[in-house]
Amino acid sequence: MTRVAIVGTGQTVHARRRTDVSQAGLAREAAVEALADAGLTMDDIDSVVVASGPAMFGAVNQPEKWLVDALGARYKPLVRVTSGGGTGLAGALAAINQIKAGAARRVLVVAYDKLSEGQLQASISTLYDPFWGREFAVGIMGFSAAYWHARIKRLGHTEEAAAMVAVKNRHHAMANPKAHVKKEVTVEEVLASRPLCWPIKILDVPPISDGACAVILAADQDAESITSTPAWIHGMAYYCEADNAADRSMLQSEPLQIAAANVYKAAGITNPFRQFDVAEVQEPYTCFELSYYEGLGLCPAGGAAELVASGATTMGGELPVNPSGGCMGANPIGATALIRLAEAAMQVTGKAGAHQVPNASRALVQAGGGWANLRGVAVVGAEKN
Amino acid sequence: MTTIHHADPSETMESMPAQISMPYTLTPGQATGIFLAELRNRRLIGSRHGDGTILVPAQDFCGSTGEPVTNFVEVAAAGELQAFTTTARGTIGMVLIDGTSTPFVHQILQADPAALEIGTRVEAVWAVEATGTFLDLAGFRPAGNPNTFEPRESPGDLAEPLQQVDYRMTLDYQHAYGQYYGTLFDGVKNSRRIRGVRCSECRKVLLPPRSHCDVCFAPTHEWIDVKPTGTIQACSVVHIEFIGQRLTPPYIYAEIVLDGSSTRLIHMVGGDAANADKHAVEPGNRVRAVWSERRTGSLADIEHFELLPADEDPS
Amino acid sequence: MTSSTPGRVAVVNSAQTLLTSSWSDRQHIDLISEAVSRALKGTGIRLEDVDFVIDSGSDFLDGRSISNCGFLGAMGAHHKEESRVEEDGLWSLTYAANKIACGSAAVGLVVAYSKPSESDVSAFWTGLLEPFIQRPTGLDQFSAAGLYAQRYLAKAGLKADDLHDVSRRAWERAARNPFVDVDEVPDDRSFWFEDVATPLRRSDMARPVDGAVAVLVANAEVADQIAKRPVWITGQGSAIDQHFLAAREPDSLPACEAAGRTALRATGAASAKEFDIVEVSGTSTVGELMVLEALGLAEPHRGIDLYRDEGSSGINPSGGALPADVIMATGLARLHEAASRLSGRTGSPQDGLDNARTALVHGTGGFAMQNHCVVTMAAAS
Repeated sequence: MTRVAIVGTGQTVHARRRTDVSQAGLAREAAVEALADAGLTMDDIDSVVVASGPAMFGAVNQPEKWLVDALGARYKPLVRVTSGGGTGLAGALAAINQIKAGAARRVLVVAYDKLSEGQLQASISTLYDPFWGREFAVGIMGFSAAYWHARIKRLGHTEEAAAMVAVKNRHHAMANPKAHVKKEVTVEEVLASRPLCWPIKILDVPPISDGACAVILAADQDAESITSTPAWIHGMAYYCEADNAADRSMLQSEPLQIAAANVYKAAGITNPFRQFDVAEVQEPYTCFELSYYEGLGLCPAGGAAELVASGATTMGGELPVNPSGGCMGANPIGATALIRLAEAAMQVTGKAGAHQVPNASRALVQAGGGWANLRGVAVVGAEKN
Repeated sequence: MTTIHHADPSETMESMPAQISMPYTLTPGQATGIFLAELRNRRLIGSRHGDGTILVPAQDFCGSTGEPVTNFVEVAAAGELQAFTTTARGTIGMVLIDGTSTPFVHQILQADPAALEIGTRVEAVWAVEATGTFLDLAGFRPAGNPNTFEPRESPGDLAEPLQQVDYRMTLDYQHAYGQYYGTLFDGVKNSRRIRGVRCSECRKVLLPPRSHCDVCFAPTHEWIDVKPTGTIQACSVVHIEFIGQRLTPPYIYAEIVLDGSSTRLIHMVGGDAANADKHAVEPGNRVRAVWSERRTGSLADIEHFELLPADEDPS
Repeated sequence: MTSSTPGRVAVVNSAQTLLTSSWSDRQHIDLISEAVSRALKGTGIRLEDVDFVIDSGSDFLDGRSISNCGFLGAMGAHHKEESRVEEDGLWSLTYAANKIACGSAAVGLVVAYSKPSESDVSAFWTGLLEPFIQRPTGLDQFSAAGLYAQRYLAKAGLKADDLHDVSRRAWERAARNPFVDVDEVPDDRSFWFEDVATPLRRSDMARPVDGAVAVLVANAEVADQIAKRPVWITGQGSAIDQHFLAAREPDSLPACEAAGRTALRATGAASAKEFDIVEVSGTSTVGELMVLEALGLAEPHRGIDLYRDEGSSGINPSGGALPADVIMATGLARLHEAASRLSGRTGSPQDGLDNARTALVHGTGGFAMQNHCVVTMAAAS
């Protein structure tokens, strides 16, 4: 059985607005860093997968066609996978399938978004059916807040609990050199912050960022010859749910539960809270991190508020979640999921620097997007599975 | 963002026009930024890459090799036409600037297409007033001067790169209602009926109606009247303002499951009772549609949903 | 995930809606669910047997962001693995084939669709251009094709009228194709002689159409059980050219050549000429000629000979992309056409291809055919 590993990672300096590079140049910056990390050049790369958010974010249709030049990818296979906020992970999954099928040996996955260039909420609002509710949309913020409201009532995901996520992730971001938002906050400050789509308040919301991430994947001997520290992919899946399916309560994310069950089975995980050393999750709003705890089986349904309050998911706790700071440190949406994967790889290979979880050897990754109906999960480990 | 024009009630409802129009602030990057900034000075700047390739307009990276720019050159605003085509919008050509490696596409102006040939000498036409876009170089026209020019090495007084190009992208659509939305919205407009369809397998009533059940993938087979009352499945209070917003905040965003259906309708909750304390409106609250005076054949025919007093709740 | 050697992958069924200039009374989801239902019908595969869905569509054409998100139910993807490849559906097909080949799934569904009648198609094409240098010039899909054509015709020693051989054959075949809304070859003079982008006329440009295509792919175990005549995927290759139009080769498509080379190497075929059926996507007549040349079916600048030679009936028997360009689904439609013939599902078209056993399929994407994908197939004998 072919085992695929991450053999190089790179991230740009993320920022609220990068006026020094184009979208294409931003993507290149991450690719160059990943190639350097792996000790490879583009000549060594067989195939490129680009992942980015909706094309309307940047006014360029199929932007990978423009990125080719900056990536030096002429005459190589290059395709873009776009699947909402989790697209970086969906892109990595496409790359893994190319490698396992023998269609490529070394694949570069580049994910980016340059959100400073467009109108984020207006763009995301076009997710809505033009006949069915688009005029009420606030990106997915109104929607996300609405279902958080339902989870507050049914599952006890209180505003305080979400504020603790904000406090924790913003604290973690302080140690991450790639994060561009570095400001500690208190629970009281989060609770008192300006409501955007109540119950979501401004400190529940990640920054809007320009940024890119790149990951290089290879299998077995290829991986082992490239690096002495491959981060092996123990499992990865990306599931969906029809947006207006009957009886979709969204109190729990069913595609997340399905993805987790499948990936855990492949990776031999039976007790995720005990078996993982670290987790990186994609939290577009703080309330989602609470929901993921339950969907990923880190705690029982209704147990998320207690879990975050226990400190178990803070650095130094039993299962630190988002030691990188997660989306709260930087959120270039199309790149965010790949950043989670890259951060997980850095953790299990001991390369996470100041935000390293000591002795981490197995990491959980969660990503997702769309209408909270696209959900991905991955497991990354230091040991060859 | 999206503007939805509601059709004149007398029109047949085959399709609905919609427009997505948003402003952008695009970053050209260093080399193209310098190129664009120098157009104001009526200078053409090229970029040199790796083995000596010169690209005009200057690029951060060479598409043939991926090599980054090593230095900049100034080139003459003249060259030769390598290809051209004429469409209803004018003549477009590929111009190879003297001393450079690769042509680029631009408008060919002030020319009789019949008199153009591959190899025709051309020179720049500058815009009267610079606006900070590529069109500061308006295009090229046939040139009398047959002389060619050599690129001049790295001008010392290069402009700072332009960091931002303002852009508006406008996309126009004519979305088909199809038979299902057509039937639904005809009913809404003409008789204030809201109808969904029942799945032939799981028996759930789906709104908006559609040909297949999302879960079973079985065909739907029966139109079912859905009540204008329902339960809030989820709601939030919109305070944020953003460019392209269609409604003025604050308002209550709500996903409502109408009585008799199993899917969510997206709308807002209003009325005196709800507006008195918007944060008090909760998932689980009962609501009813308040019909608008307008008959547009869309969700806009519902003004909003209002809280349904318990003593008026039919359920 | 059980095997270390990539497994065999078969197309077990495929379907497409009628391709027509405007499905004015149908929505995207109607077209998609029709194609998916028909791809499943009669196979014995139920939707619950399908492990995953890979799909191709365009946010720009659909007028919605993350447009796959709203069409998941229609694609039969609910609670399955799903990914959107924003490129012609032939790339989605290769993704699906990879996923099955590596053993991580048994049955997959590939869906591609476009409904250009709802949008301004030129905005789709010009939106593909980087916005600083190329887009402001007014360069569009027509002028790009014209620029290629001028240089190509000069090199090939051809006149614009010579290209009528290419378009006439395409439209004649489309008129015989029950899944394209063409009853007869257009006979109005303006179609054949009105300049669109000199030297090209209206007849030289692909006609955008609405439609959806669905393809069911499976591993050997499933395929052998359910398909009377499975069509095996024997090779795939893809390659992209650089972005700037003027920097690309003036009258040839090296990325197409690279894609074809990779696919042929995988197949073990010495030449594209070995295939009984070749289905290619060209966005213009000259584009189609350059594709055929890049694939090695004709010498450079001699592609026109294939249209003057009765022996080449195996090239685009469906009519190809010129009479019916479904934009994001054109390459997958080519695969559907070829696979249908190889498996005997087309019935008896009586065009000399009844015994066809192998096919090469080509798809393209991007502005002026920047990206290329080639898939080869063989029917079980």
